[in-house]
Amino acid sequence: MKALFIVASVVLLIAGCDPMAETIFPYAYTTEILANGLTVIMIPMDSPGLVAYYSVVRTGSRDEVEPGKSGFAHFFEHMMFRGTKKYPSSVYDSLITSIGASTNAYTTDDYTAYHLNFAAEDLERVMELESDRFQNLFYEKPAFQTEAGAVYGEYKKNITNPHMLLYEKTQDLAYDVHTYKHTVIGFEQDIKAMPEAYEYSQAFFRRYYRPDNVVLVLAGDIDTRATMALVEKYYGAWEEGYVAPDISLEPAQAGGRTGEVSYPGKTLPILNIAYKGDAFDTENRAFVAAMLLSDLAFGETSDLYKKLYLQEQKVESISSSVPRNRDVPLFEVYAMVKEEGDLDYVRAQIEQTIEQYQTVPVDAKRLSDLQRRKKYSFLMNLDTPDKVAGGLARYVALTADIRCVDELYSAFDSVTPRDIMNAAKKYYLPGRRTVVVLKGARS
Amino acid sequence: MKIASGLLFCCLLIAHPSRSLGGDMVPEENIVEVPVPNDPTVSFRIWFAVGSQNDPDGKSGLANITTSMLTQAATQENTYEEILEKLFPLAAGYGGSSTVEMTVLSGRTHRDNLGEYYPLFLDAILRPAFKEEDLERIRSEVLNFLENTLRYSSDEELGKAVLYNDIFAGTPYGHIPAGTVEGVKSITIEDVKRFYGKHYTRENLIIGIAGSYDGETLGRLRGDLGTLPEGKPARVPVPSAALDGLTVTVVEKEAPATAMSMGFPIEILRGSREWYALAIANSWFGEHRNQSSHLFQVIREVRGLNYGDYSYIEHFPGGGGRMRPPQNVCRRQQIFEVWIRPVPNEARHFALRAALREYTRLVENGMTREDFELTKSFLKKYVLHYATTTMERLGYALDDRFYGIDGSHLELFREMMDDITLEEVNAAVRKHLQVGNMHIVVVTPNAESFREALLRDSPSPISYATPKPASVLKEDEEIQMFPVKVRPRDIRVVGVEDIFVK
Repeated sequence: MKALFIVASVVLLIAGCDPMAETIFPYAYTTEILANGLTVIMIPMDSPGLVAYYSVVRTGSRDEVEPGKSGFAHFFEHMMFRGTKKYPSSVYDSLITSIGASTNAYTTDDYTAYHLNFAAEDLERVMELESDRFQNLFYEKPAFQTEAGAVYGEYKKNITNPHMLLYEKTQDLAYDVHTYKHTVIGFEQDIKAMPEAYEYSQAFFRRYYRPDNVVLVLAGDIDTRATMALVEKYYGAWEEGYVAPDISLEPAQAGGRTGEVSYPGKTLPILNIAYKGDAFDTENRAFVAAMLLSDLAFGETSDLYKKLYLQEQKVESISSSVPRNRDVPLFEVYAMVKEEGDLDYVRAQIEQTIEQYQTVPVDAKRLSDLQRRKKYSFLMNLDTPDKVAGGLARYVALTADIRCVDELYSAFDSVTPRDIMNAAKKYYLPGRRTVVVLKGARS
Repeated sequence: MKIASGLLFCCLLIAHPSRSLGGDMVPEENIVEVPVPNDPTVSFRIWFAVGSQNDPDGKSGLANITTSMLTQAATQENTYEEILEKLFPLAAGYGGSSTVEMTVLSGRTHRDNLGEYYPLFLDAILRPAFKEEDLERIRSEVLNFLENTLRYSSDEELGKAVLYNDIFAGTPYGHIPAGTVEGVKSITIEDVKRFYGKHYTRENLIIGIAGSYDGETLGRLRGDLGTLPEGKPARVPVPSAALDGLTVTVVEKEAPATAMSMGFPIEILRGSREWYALAIANSWFGEHRNQSSHLFQVIREVRGLNYGDYSYIEHFPGGGGRMRPPQNVCRRQQIFEVWIRPVPNEARHFALRAALREYTRLVENGMTREDFELTKSFLKKYVLHYATTTMERLGYALDDRFYGIDGSHLELFREMMDDITLEEVNAAVRKHLQVGNMHIVVVTPNAESFREALLRDSPSPISYATPKPASVLKEDEEIQMFPVKVRPRDIRVVGVEDIFVK
């Protein structure tokens, strides 16, 4: 049948994909570490002809410790496309174009990822180009300054979104000294000043773009041994020398905080209730339980969701998050409220829900339903090399390894209703809380 | 030509009425299969030939709301709360997408859970409850989208929506699928029931199924969907939308930067050889989210004026959030579209001139041999990334049916990259792209001053905060003088609150 043609050949065999298996990650993989500290994780998959190639730099906006330099990790991600002496950006672009690779990059609070998807036959060409720019990036001041304009354009494009404005305000208010105080794109005044930071950018590259701070994740149609030989050839001479930034620890929060932000356009009001949580740690039972608690208390099968969203229809949306981070992140409960007059009511309902989870054990069936959901959800999202490598990026950024995936899912399974209660009691406390309300100035 | 002989499955149905009349199975020719035995999941896309083009007068947004009333609401068997609870442990779900011409109800489940999943999905299609409280919740979300999100939170999405509404004003394509504020407010449960009864018929659907399903599942699906009533709504004619000269809508809005979109209708659809020729030129000029494309180089890479600049020969909704083309957003009438992401307000006139100047050069000069060869080589492999998941492949298979492509668009795309000549590309550019008739939408503050600047057509010099090479400054001198002649009657200034009203 013609409709099945070439793309059919990229369909994967998810070998051993069994939700009931002891380890959840369904692919065999190999982890190697070069003498210079570069970690390489290779995941051969039955995806004939396609490879996903992720270079994960374990540096993000968290590492922007110098005053006035917020947003630099993201800005630097842009600069990584400006070429080297051997392959100036126009040549790099042309070579990547000629092989039809799909390529991009993104920056987060904890890491920066550069990713390409391409045909397996182009692996060596891609590795030559990627290893070259990571070792020999070269740009001159005018190109650097021009790119700063593009970054400012990106900021202006984003800031018309009320959620972005609320995120900016919440981080700023919740943190005093830790670099999570600023968003990934950075403070506007720092973005404006970026054109002046050419020399700093070179120091940034020397400090962070080192093999001992980078993890390569390759998934798809690869031969492990041949791939490793290429890695040795192209990355072997890269000099180690990562300098860990001196990130100030955030002191324990002394009492709740509240803030308000005015959005210049029209929007429904948004309520963000954020609590200082814990860093990612699969051995921290309270943290693992909190990841489940978030779904149980505020997810779409929770009593609160049914009440506020479906029955009373007082909120346009309600959600929550327990993020995975290297340092202490915010565990958030987030609601867009239909009427400004209901803000206090919605907040009270959220707090009442937390109290309930602190005092009453969750129904065992709801917990086991969620544990089942977690597994299927994970497995159903591993159907292309890009999804596998991309889905692992944060884990390797946090731990330089992917063993934590099996550890996390195994820990999910062992969580009990009492653990959920303990997590609610540990994190969701008024003293750890920052509440920010956003209202539209023209609403 | 393939298009002419097979456009839309409706034609096929008319040709074989006996298969569906009197039977209780969806006929074989209305099934699109993508079997993938190694995939542990099963994917469904049930396509109904209905969309916002079918919205009745005064009820803009009805097709979209009807879809939501099936996929985000109660059924006769379960309340919506119960549905969410039952789907939850399966990590499965279903959803609906209603665009101008297509409505697709889609879902995916791990095959372990198919037995629990299937009745929930089918109930949503066959036995909706149409409860008032679900309608109110859904209506509130759509109004929030129109009145707040689209008008205020993303100026570039706003610009694109206005561009399509303007170009097709007065035709069934003349409102975005979400509809208008007045239309959405006026929709009643009776409207939804009537619309569902008319358009969700067994002769108006195509079954798409993919992954590791078995024959029994497909047979059951054909039988179950065959219980939908008979009926074949009349086809909506393809809209005719001819532009006359250069026309501009300036949307007045307090904005930190200026977003622009521009375009005009083109008379070509996927599947014909000329389309692939034009696709090569378009990719070189403005491939979506590709930093080596020409427009991106001129406006962002060299001048740092914004985050990106792209062009399209097919509708590409949600471009801010996706890297590759969506599926099941097909239309019988497409536009050529240029998207300039927000530029500094003070550089808006310059950026518009830069975009139009590069576009004009493409139309007048065509592509060079070198660019042609590189772009062909790029596309031949790049399209492999368009459909890597089973669900995406099923989406493309349905699109092939829509456009009457015998075989596969993506396969044809790759074949054409070995076959098409530079002369064909440049001929397609000359035939389908032109500089005389175009509509431009600009979302910006101080709209009146921009209007005056456009009418004066006087130079719009640009100053940079940082040094630029002499070659760039020299080219800037030409850009700032590039004529963009608009007649006073062809510039409309509109307040943001006056958009999407009715």
